[in-house]
Amino acid sequence: MSNRQAFETLVLPHLDAAYNLARWLLRSDQEAEDAVQDASMRAFRYIDSLRGVDARPWLLGIVRNTCFTALERVRSGPQQVEFDETEFEAELGEAQRSDSDPAAQLQRQRTRVQIDAAIRALTPPLREVIVLREFEDLDYAQIAKIVAVPIGTVMSRLARAREKLRSILSQANLGE
Amino acid sequence: MSMDDDELSSQIRQHATRYTAPDGLRAGIRAQVALADAGRAARPRQRWFGFGALSFAHFGWRTASVSFALGLACALIVLPAVQRMDLNQPMDAELVTDHVRALKVGRLTDVVSTDRHTVKPWFQGRLDYAPPVFDLAGDGFPLLGGRIEHVRGNVVATLAYARDRHMIDVFVWPSETKTTPVRSVNKGFNVLHWADGSMQYWAVSDVEGAELERFAQLWQAQAAKP
Repeated sequence: MSNRQAFETLVLPHLDAAYNLARWLLRSDQEAEDAVQDASMRAFRYIDSLRGVDARPWLLGIVRNTCFTALERVRSGPQQVEFDETEFEAELGEAQRSDSDPAAQLQRQRTRVQIDAAIRALTPPLREVIVLREFEDLDYAQIAKIVAVPIGTVMSRLARAREKLRSILSQANLGE
Repeated sequence: MSMDDDELSSQIRQHATRYTAPDGLRAGIRAQVALADAGRAARPRQRWFGFGALSFAHFGWRTASVSFALGLACALIVLPAVQRMDLNQPMDAELVTDHVRALKVGRLTDVVSTDRHTVKPWFQGRLDYAPPVFDLAGDGFPLLGGRIEHVRGNVVATLAYARDRHMIDVFVWPSETKTTPVRSVNKGFNVLHWADGSMQYWAVSDVEGAELERFAQLWQAQAAKP
């Protein structure tokens, strides 16, 4: 199999997963597209290292590194808050203004907006473990490898992320 | 109310937005990979060694080792430079070389955009002419972006379009002549050249000849619009 065939058959089927991760980690469609494009060309360049490895986590690892490099370029210094309340309110307000669905769909729409806003308000290291676990259904060991941290760290980040999401979503639900 | 982990999980899996990769992104990546692959196959270095061997046979130096060393030096240092300056080299060969080199270094586009209203202004200040940029995505030729190439001392606008798995480079610079498209083949790449009285165009791609001709037709139709 040529390198290009290998890319087409092994890597390309996971492009949606790659884009979903990039779109969740970055702020805009354009940034996500640029990151996935960069990551894909990198994946093609190092396709030899893919032999015998599961392609999806391998690609997601490259995408994730590309995204964090992009994030570091715009933000200097570590973020203090793991969950940004103002960000959550802003995301929520933003989405609700453009909300013009009929009443029947309103509740489901509202749930989606709340959950999206809550995930977006998480700090990137917590957001990525949520995306990898809940969207991609990867296990702790796979996530640990992608993020390049010990399994224990993955578990604690996941627990913290869930705690934040749980508390904010409970509040939002009670507020109705 | 407090959710457990499973409940939270199913809430996220059920309701959170799942993004999917846009078609343009997919096509762009496939095109870039196809071209990077094609570029990798055509190594100009092998050609230079070929020239080295030729000079060895030609001049018949007395000492084999000296001639070999000279031939090698010639192959490695002199010939690439001469070749680059060789004005007798046909234009299509030169543009194919530019196309392949761009693919190889992965620098197909300095301005990456599928929007011609982003690409066209990018050339302002970089060129002393304004190349036309058309949106042919509706006909299956999405725009990928643009860059600048230096061709025989001229600064030349270069537009990159995708066609399925293939990439098309269009080199554009002013010309007062008018010619209908003429196709040539160089190193397996199709090259189509035409001019419309204000600009001349050289489209280079590994796409099939008929496809490239269709691209030129669409281009001309767009250019003819008032």
